[in-house]
Amino acid sequence: MNYIMHIIIMINIYIILTISSNLLVGMTNLLSLGQAAFYGIGAYFTIFCLMILHLPLIPTLLISMGMTALFSLLLALPSIRLKGDYFVLATLGFQLIVYTILYNWVSLTRGSFGIPGIPAPKLFGLIEISGIIPFLIFSFIMVGFTIFIFLKLINSPFGRVLKGIRDDELSVLSLGRNVTVFKIRVFVIASGFIAIAGFIYATYVTYIDPTSFTLDESIFILSALLIGGTGNIKGPIAGSIFVIILPELLRFVGLPNSVAANLRQIIYGLFLIILMRFRPQGLAGNYQVK
Amino acid sequence: MNNDILKIEDLNKSFTRNIINMRGKEENERFNIIDELDLFIPESKITALIGGNGAGKTTLFNIISRFTESDSGRISFHNNQWLNILKQPAYKLKHIGIGRLFQDNHIFQQMTVLENMLIADDSEWGERPFISLFKANKNKEIEKKRTKKVEKILFELFGINNPFWQKRKDLASSLSFGQQRLLGLARLFMGDYKLVLLDEPTAGVNPDLVKTICIIIKRMVKEKGLTVFLIEHNMKVVLEIADFCSFMSHGKITAFGSPKDVIGDENVRRTYLGM
Repeated sequence: MNYIMHIIIMINIYIILTISSNLLVGMTNLLSLGQAAFYGIGAYFTIFCLMILHLPLIPTLLISMGMTALFSLLLALPSIRLKGDYFVLATLGFQLIVYTILYNWVSLTRGSFGIPGIPAPKLFGLIEISGIIPFLIFSFIMVGFTIFIFLKLINSPFGRVLKGIRDDELSVLSLGRNVTVFKIRVFVIASGFIAIAGFIYATYVTYIDPTSFTLDESIFILSALLIGGTGNIKGPIAGSIFVIILPELLRFVGLPNSVAANLRQIIYGLFLIILMRFRPQGLAGNYQVK
Repeated sequence: MNNDILKIEDLNKSFTRNIINMRGKEENERFNIIDELDLFIPESKITALIGGNGAGKTTLFNIISRFTESDSGRISFHNNQWLNILKQPAYKLKHIGIGRLFQDNHIFQQMTVLENMLIADDSEWGERPFISLFKANKNKEIEKKRTKKVEKILFELFGINNPFWQKRKDLASSLSFGQQRLLGLARLFMGDYKLVLLDEPTAGVNPDLVKTICIIIKRMVKEKGLTVFLIEHNMKVVLEIADFCSFMSHGKITAFGSPKDVIGDENVRRTYLGM
């Protein structure tokens, strides 16, 4: 039972990651390879607030969201005007820089040793969120919150402009909207929400090290999103469930561990190719990424 | 005598193009696509711009829309006061009153017909993320008003039971090319423009639709007092709707006047119409 709950918590974390990325990729056509960097920044700021400042849950969450948003703003300001592939490269560079800093600044992050013993966050200084069932409930609440905000945003005039940018930037420009400002806004919002996933991950696993936030992780998040499909809520959920459940299923097939890990990569790759050929909008998406 | 709304003075734009010279070697050559161009557009009239392929018509439109940077020159636009639009960023042009219809429509394909109209609305209320999160009620109210406006515009332009209103919840990609063109024109009625630039509004649509488009363009001027500046290859349309016509050749305006005079001009007939 604990095992199933663990998987559900992991799925919830990925749903938050993919829905936030969906705001960028699916709604605004901004492909970012820096998602894991923001995930990591969120997680490390969570630890900072919990272990050094001894803050309770809500301030910790707000601070890590705020700081991640701030970092994304720093990335967005110079790079958001870049077109297409160049923007992807800028986010890739950012991802590599953040990972290198986390890995090598040993006095701050303990580098590859990681940070163990992350304390359980306290809600209003009273209720401690520790153990698997409280975390399950907490992760569901956060997923609900993320979905709520996402739906609010995409169904508002703001979301309409984002969709416009996705379809036809020039046209949005001629209709008098400052495309750059909209892109910066959506980038900052999406990164802020990724910090929620970082928060849940750090406090749930109670141990983090930089290897959880590599470029591979960014690609993994994107492939979860692309497998599931973009432009709506169903897609990221379907994609997250798929990418988390698949390795667990492979475990039951009884393959040795060393083979299973590689096979997982092969299956993801194969699945992406098959989807591209036969279902370019993903499992449950309603928009095909260009 | 009419007042001018747009003055283009001494405008230059050159590209570098790669050519093979007489000795068979590659070399870069400066090529003036817009060459010391002067043009005044009269207010509340329809001015057509004609000229052969590669004469620089669309480049001129792109410079006015601020999608392309010009090398030198001045374009002033009159809306209460004269303003040099070459100093404005592209997104500001709508706010100072210049709208644009694209040659290949540029409709938002993955959005519904209604969304396509709503996004073109003059007011941009609710497009800040925090407002869309915290002011849900006012948002709804404004969206209702906008939807009413769309209904009214579509009704006035295309009559009762028009396909656009009936298909408002369908994706714009389900419309035919001609219908998308009409939607692009209808979209311009949502904004508060003074001048609209139409890049070949009748290209690639059937004769029935050409008539509809001509009627819509005339209504833009008559009912909304807009100034229309359009690129057009269909001489019938030019003769029918345009008040003035300018002929562009090799980056310059070589003839300007009434459509009859310009199309009757010997030079125009020889170089452009091939007669």
